[in-house]
Amino acid sequence: MNIEQVRLKEAQEQLKAWKRWGPYLSERQWGTVREDYSEEGNAWNYFTHDQARSRAYRWGEDGLAGISDDQQRLCFSLALWNGRDPILKERLFGLTNSESNHGEDVKEYYFYLDSTPTHSWMKYLYKYPQAAFPYGQLVETSRRRGPGDFEYELLDTGVFDEDRYFDVFVDYAKASPEDLLVRITVHNRGPEAAELHVLPTLWFRNQWSWQDGSERPELRQVDVRSGCSVVRATDARLGERWFECEGEVPLLFTENETNMQRVFGLPNRSPYVKDSINNSIVHGDDSGINPEKRGTKVAADYRLRVEAGGSKVIRLRLRDGGGGPEESGDGSAGAFGDFDRTMDLRRAEADEFYRDVIPQSLNADEANVMRQALAGMLWSKQFYHYDVDRWLEERGSDPFKASRKVAPRNDHWHHMYNGDVISMPDKWEYPWYAAWDLAFHVLALTLVDAEFGKQQLKLMLRERYMHPNGQIPAYEWNFGDVNPPVHAWSTIFTYRLEQGVKGQGDRDWLKSNFQKLLLNFTWWVNRKDRTGRNVFEGGFLGLDNIGVFDRSAPLPTGGYLEQADGTAWMALFCQNMMEIAAELSLTDSDYVDMAVKFVEHYFWIASSMTHLGGGTGMWDEEDGFFYDVLRLPNGESQRLKVRSMVGLLPLCATTMFDGVALKKYPEVGERFVRFLDARPEIRAAIHDPLKPGVAGRRLASILDETRLRRVLSRMLDENEFLSEFGIRSLSRCHADHPYVFNAGGREYRVSYLPAESDSGMFGGNSNWRGPIWMPVNALIIRALLQYYSYFGTNFTIECPTGSGRQMNLYGVAEEISRRLARIFLRDEHGRRPVYGGSKKFQEDPHWRDLLQFFEYFHGDNGAGLGASHQTGWTGVIARLMHLFATVNPEVALQGGKKVYFETAGEKAAGGAAGAAAEAESRVAELSGAGR
Amino acid sequence: MLRVRTPKVTLYVDRSRQQWVVLDQSGRFWVLPNVENPWDQRQPIYPTEDMELEPIPGHYRYMLGLPSGGEERDA
Repeated sequence: MNIEQVRLKEAQEQLKAWKRWGPYLSERQWGTVREDYSEEGNAWNYFTHDQARSRAYRWGEDGLAGISDDQQRLCFSLALWNGRDPILKERLFGLTNSESNHGEDVKEYYFYLDSTPTHSWMKYLYKYPQAAFPYGQLVETSRRRGPGDFEYELLDTGVFDEDRYFDVFVDYAKASPEDLLVRITVHNRGPEAAELHVLPTLWFRNQWSWQDGSERPELRQVDVRSGCSVVRATDARLGERWFECEGEVPLLFTENETNMQRVFGLPNRSPYVKDSINNSIVHGDDSGINPEKRGTKVAADYRLRVEAGGSKVIRLRLRDGGGGPEESGDGSAGAFGDFDRTMDLRRAEADEFYRDVIPQSLNADEANVMRQALAGMLWSKQFYHYDVDRWLEERGSDPFKASRKVAPRNDHWHHMYNGDVISMPDKWEYPWYAAWDLAFHVLALTLVDAEFGKQQLKLMLRERYMHPNGQIPAYEWNFGDVNPPVHAWSTIFTYRLEQGVKGQGDRDWLKSNFQKLLLNFTWWVNRKDRTGRNVFEGGFLGLDNIGVFDRSAPLPTGGYLEQADGTAWMALFCQNMMEIAAELSLTDSDYVDMAVKFVEHYFWIASSMTHLGGGTGMWDEEDGFFYDVLRLPNGESQRLKVRSMVGLLPLCATTMFDGVALKKYPEVGERFVRFLDARPEIRAAIHDPLKPGVAGRRLASILDETRLRRVLSRMLDENEFLSEFGIRSLSRCHADHPYVFNAGGREYRVSYLPAESDSGMFGGNSNWRGPIWMPVNALIIRALLQYYSYFGTNFTIECPTGSGRQMNLYGVAEEISRRLARIFLRDEHGRRPVYGGSKKFQEDPHWRDLLQFFEYFHGDNGAGLGASHQTGWTGVIARLMHLFATVNPEVALQGGKKVYFETAGEKAAGGAAGAAAEAESRVAELSGAGR
Repeated sequence: MLRVRTPKVTLYVDRSRQQWVVLDQSGRFWVLPNVENPWDQRQPIYPTEDMELEPIPGHYRYMLGLPSGGEERDA
């Protein structure tokens, strides 16, 4: 066990709070639903970026490269000023949903370079222009662009020309759980010396203004010893902390209070307000700086002149009381005596940790991609705070008040109290959790921190999150929206991982989740199966604009949709619940009945996809594909023949079973046989569940072999779904043959759009009409491996379709994974497809190995699109790379589904010999470049 | 013990006159001066048609020391 693994164990056993401090600060608190108190619910316009520097937040804080404790009482982040900007760079800037031609978009360059799971070591990079930041230019140019145009990016403004910018690296290392070292290294990449204010900032989240009797915390400068400026932070619940800044640097104190004059036009009762430090540095107005050297917000003002090509280092330390500022880490040389040694040590320990995570067979570039993907996952943790009941009450929508106003959203979620560290999809673009995203995040997070993954899954099922009616909250814009039910799948995956690592899974955790998932399953069955015939709706189901219409809105034709994806998700949900119940039944026979219940429910749902609906079921025999079915009020029906991911999801609803539970309970098998014998139509409609495969395995699958081959032939056709970089969300056939539907005098058209959306459906910032999305690709790969372990090597298919090249399904899965990884890896010309035509990112040594994990990818060339830091579910690439580097087809076939979990377990237990030496810490090279 | 919620006041700002305005539970409007405990020195006000009152989130009431700041009271 390496040292970081020891820390994880200590944290898990609550011996040491190694995870109390972490990157839990959001990158955008403004423009969020929780800070929105507008009548009409216009979150973006109510609390703007322009207000953010002046207005105290109600529910959380944000900042640049920031950290906080896990209840976000005390926060630390970076502020910068290049002498030209109109405001301090305290937080990331981006366009709001209505300002940009493709929805909200951060307009900054920043990179999560490294992190251990306990955050004992972290590295971050922000690229700060030396010229004035082109705020207005970004807004104005974007406003003029239409949906058919590219987004206007920061590089396009020319502000990075001649390399006139600073690379600002921020390193964190924990000497102990409560002793954080911070090193800020500023490189001047430009041709001339340049000046810069670096303002490391410490502040308390404002809790005292929003409730009675809340004790106000305090930051106060204490006597300075030579060569160090020190702040004492005192909070009733957090205790004392010391913030030590190397050098006799000016400390600017103010209060984290709203500047009423600026925001509301009301006189301030105190001159010390949130933007006072900004006003002091930028405007030379010191009237808001408390001369008594105390407050709730403080910044150290380092004024640097950095020579061309040179660098400067700032060292800081934030730690608990101990003996106060005179106490040094090593007892000899003050706060910074052991500083560099500790930094180096933590970085080396991170390398050691990742040698056990990243497979040895990956080359240096692959290892770099995997490590930065995991860094992004870990940096995307955020303290998410939202007490919906109080929020409703504060906006006059008190749920128990007769004269209340109806809130514009989340009106029925007043039971909710969220106040936890949660994995975010993207801390700027999506600084709120999304239930189905989170289930995918866990796949990647469990590579480095299984306990955190388990905790995240459990969290969504707690009474403070899950609705009393059993619905899992979707996301803050509308908790009541419906996301695909993938929680059970992630749960059994996570359980199996731990089982592989420890030889035994956490059955109590599994049991507890199962009970809550039962509520969720019942919610689905009772709410989304309109006719009780086991065909499901669900609305948009996470796929935004994929349909002909907005599937969450009333249809322009009237009637309703029977959704192929909704029904397939429920078939998969059944399989997952069946697997969990079967696992639990091995030690508790009470679960046998539950396993039987889900087997039978699966049969009903799966078979309904193909045999219900007379001539207009979801399966189209002519096309060999599944479609949504439109049921009209006059009783007529028709398939909406859009060839999209909706029709591929039935392929994903498959699970191979090894029959362990059936061996223990043979009478259950006899019940299944009787059930199926009495219902030959079910057996005929789906893959025959009684038909044994390799090693006597059974397969739950909507598709029988014939239909599977037909769907695969489309999916693997490069003229349809298979791109050089993964499976597209919409068939390319719609480029030449758009799907057109006329209703109510209006034409609805679905065309292949490999890049951005051309409509405002679901905010217009996502596009499921062509691009490649990582989570559904991961599901397809999972399904192919399930089929492979059942059918074995004899089942081969042409891949790509028409190529003449036959592959078994393991080979197909590996091929798709390889194509997905190519998005990020350097090609034979040294170019990374993810960065498309960006010369800077492709060629510049200070940019080309920095990775961003976008939300989705161009369907033809793999370029990154949408949110630029959605490591969230795109981070699943780390899991895929790990999988195919640790398993081979022979072993996979022999061992079945257990193989990967057991292999992963061996790795996690410290069995890896170490990744290739040259792969070790490309991150170190990145930060060293130019030093 | 049964806990019930107290009805809350509604907050506004009147930007043109740079003042806080409060609508209390009984439907009366008050203007608050810019002092330490403003509620104690409130003055009645009768909004006119030309007055633009901008609603302010309820959580600012604690800062102004309004009497119904307590979340709940025991009954």
